[in-house]
Amino acid sequence: MLWRSAARTDAGKVRARNEDAFLDSPEQGLWAVADGMGGHSQGDLASRLIIESLAELPIGAGFDERLQQLRQCLHWLNRRLNQELTVIADQADTIIGSTVVALLCDDKRAACVWAGDSRCYLWRSGRLYQLTKDHSVQQRMIDEEKLTPEQAARHPAAHALTQAIGANEKLALDILEFSLMPGDSMLLCSDGLYKGISQNAIGAALSLPSAQIALERLFDTALLGPARDNLTAIVIRRQE
Amino acid sequence: MHLMDEPNAAVVEDELTYFAFANKAPSTTETLPRTHGVKALPDVLSGRYKLERLLGVGGMGAVYRARDLMREQYGDPEPFVAIKTLSEDFAEYPDASALLYSEFALTTRLRHPHIVRLHGFDIDRESERAYITLEMLRGLTLDKLLCDHPQGMGWEALRDIAIPLLEALAFAHSQGVLHGDIKPSNVILAEDGLRLFDFGLGQPVEGVLPGLPRLSRNRFTAWTPRYASLELLDGAPLTSSADVYAVSCVLYELATGQHPYRRLSAKQARAMQIEPTPPAQLSKPCWQVLRTGLQFAEPDRQIDASGLLDGFRHVKQSSTLGRWLGLRQSA
Repeated sequence: MLWRSAARTDAGKVRARNEDAFLDSPEQGLWAVADGMGGHSQGDLASRLIIESLAELPIGAGFDERLQQLRQCLHWLNRRLNQELTVIADQADTIIGSTVVALLCDDKRAACVWAGDSRCYLWRSGRLYQLTKDHSVQQRMIDEEKLTPEQAARHPAAHALTQAIGANEKLALDILEFSLMPGDSMLLCSDGLYKGISQNAIGAALSLPSAQIALERLFDTALLGPARDNLTAIVIRRQE
Repeated sequence: MHLMDEPNAAVVEDELTYFAFANKAPSTTETLPRTHGVKALPDVLSGRYKLERLLGVGGMGAVYRARDLMREQYGDPEPFVAIKTLSEDFAEYPDASALLYSEFALTTRLRHPHIVRLHGFDIDRESERAYITLEMLRGLTLDKLLCDHPQGMGWEALRDIAIPLLEALAFAHSQGVLHGDIKPSNVILAEDGLRLFDFGLGQPVEGVLPGLPRLSRNRFTAWTPRYASLELLDGAPLTSSADVYAVSCVLYELATGQHPYRRLSAKQARAMQIEPTPPAQLSKPCWQVLRTGLQFAEPDRQIDASGLLDGFRHVKQSSTLGRWLGLRQSA
């Protein structure tokens, strides 16, 4: 197999429920993390529906066709969780949705597709790159109003999402394609993981010799902190 | 789409601290464990049905694919069933099990090739969660079909969906059962034909099935906004005419790829005086009946499911839907 990967999710130290879900499928060359949100208890169902739907995508086709199928599946899920949702009139908060970050790879190419603030990082030649740009109010203020991250974080809705599967009628997925190089490592993670660990610590973990060891280091570090949110990570490493 | 072969470094800022969602503010009260009166759904219900995959989720419930361990033990090569449960929030209602039973009782009375077949109703003793077991259907739901074919479909493919769907609805109405939530995701093109499913908001018409728990729309109101008729949104009781409005919206969307009222609710669309344009592939008489079904005002909606069915039946040719979809046709 071309890939070695290791994945883990943890409810964290405070939340009773884990609304994160992941797909770790090196045989498909497909990995994904989803972080659910729901009016009450449905967030875990939204992230689970996304992950289990992605797991059933067909394998046989070429890279471009598979990427198209992945996008189509996410657009369908957006319709299912948004326009097709039965709404109970007394419950104002009937948004059922989830972030998603998915990584599709073949032997030379990779594509990262996302909606929301779950992230994909690339560790290449000793440097860490954040491949995804969060769909959040904070990020929008950084981009559009040229605020610093610290200034933007003070906005009362800074952490609100501007995109998620199920959140809006129209879904605008972001897609980033890149060429793979020997020794590349990728990390997919929910915000519960990256907000509990520094970028330097992420880089240090990804430089470790195996995906499993890197993953353990990431969790050991993040769980030293308050770990208020659910945390999920997948480390993906190309075989040498 | 961004394309990137050589990423620039220094994209990463140190120590960004984001919280995921507006409704996940990290206050101490928010982070206390929830005190639900409802127990979580176990992996195996009643020691028999192993939940394997979530198939669908709605405002009220969820549907799973499950393996029937008993059928598996006896060597059944297809030991799969679907399981419908109420969501944890909804299961907190004291009469939630009775409402799920009502759905079971209503649907099992409808024996029709294009209406989903239910197997049983049960309660998992340990979690005290009620559930329905039903036939496991594999195929495309109409919402998926619409995503895959955003321009809509030709006359023959449309007719091959419309006729069995309207047959199912006309049959349910003839038996005194109203669906209450017709929409693309509640119709599936299974390997052996179309099925209408999810009578979770269904009701018997007045006087039919006395004694069955009725979902009181005064106390509990639910709908799918874009397929709910104007009178339902205004608080009127469910009638067969509301089902006709919903199914007409679905058929129009299949014909054109577009919701007849630009995805607005009936209230918004009427306020904006939106007039749906006739789909090119529909004959004039067929469009006339569909247009009648799409009327906002219930008194103007002078057509029932059988009338719609007649409108779509007037041209009958051999079935091409399976070929068009590339589905396997059962013998």
